[in-house]
Amino acid sequence: MSINLLQRHVLEDHISGFETDPNPNHLAVVRRPVIFSVLAHAGHEAAVAEALKAASDLAPRFCGPSEWLAVSQTVGAETIGGLLSNIPGASFADQSDGKVLMTISGPSVRKILAKCVAVDLHSDVFAEGDSANMLCCHVAANVARTGADTFEIIVPRSFAGSVFDELMEMGREHALTRGFSD
Amino acid sequence: MASLITCPHCGTRPKEEFSIRGAAAPKRPSATAKDEDWHRYVYVRDNPKGRYQEYWHHVAGCRRFLVVDRDNLTHEVFGVTDASDFERARTAG
Repeated sequence: MSINLLQRHVLEDHISGFETDPNPNHLAVVRRPVIFSVLAHAGHEAAVAEALKAASDLAPRFCGPSEWLAVSQTVGAETIGGLLSNIPGASFADQSDGKVLMTISGPSVRKILAKCVAVDLHSDVFAEGDSANMLCCHVAANVARTGADTFEIIVPRSFAGSVFDELMEMGREHALTRGFSD
Repeated sequence: MASLITCPHCGTRPKEEFSIRGAAAPKRPSATAKDEDWHRYVYVRDNPKGRYQEYWHHVAGCRRFLVVDRDNLTHEVFGVTDASDFERARTAG
């Protein structure tokens, strides 16, 4: 048996054992997402925000004033890097290896996240497409709402194990299952 | 309640996301200021009771420094501004 250590995901040991069929409440770990951090130069904040919103194959995640994460699950790092270098007044860096992207979805997702996040996630306040940095399971994470009952959580790689375990613990009463998304 | 701070960039957040970095009112002396001025700025601080302006660093959020205007007796928050806006208003006014 050959093991490809280069492609080994940090949560590989947490998602070992038999694989069950996903329940309605499911935590999916994206194996190789592309995540860039983007900073706008002074005076270019609005232009860069517009360009990121208009870009295809790329989802901007708000971190703070003139700071975003550019996330893509469809195209590679070279494409996103090329795309970002065409935006005037923006600096960027590839963070794909340092971040872990998890997608939590299902009818009970807000009940689960209410135990992890101290922020109001009602759709009136945190609408679809909104994203922000916040404490999630005691870790500074970026949380985004990508659907009515779907959230994406980006955490630093070294904290991913603890966040993953806590999410699973909080989802136990809602029969949360887990697995790699591909 | 003081345990909920409304960040101008992120919205209403619990105090656990912040790190309190001390009074915002004392003005930092220039690098060439006298030792007495620096001593007064670094060590001689008031310990007021009541309304108070304080630097709060939003560590787990936007990572900006904010100035929280609050009452340390009643925990009432009067306003939160970005520290750069606060500094700009102070130098202008």
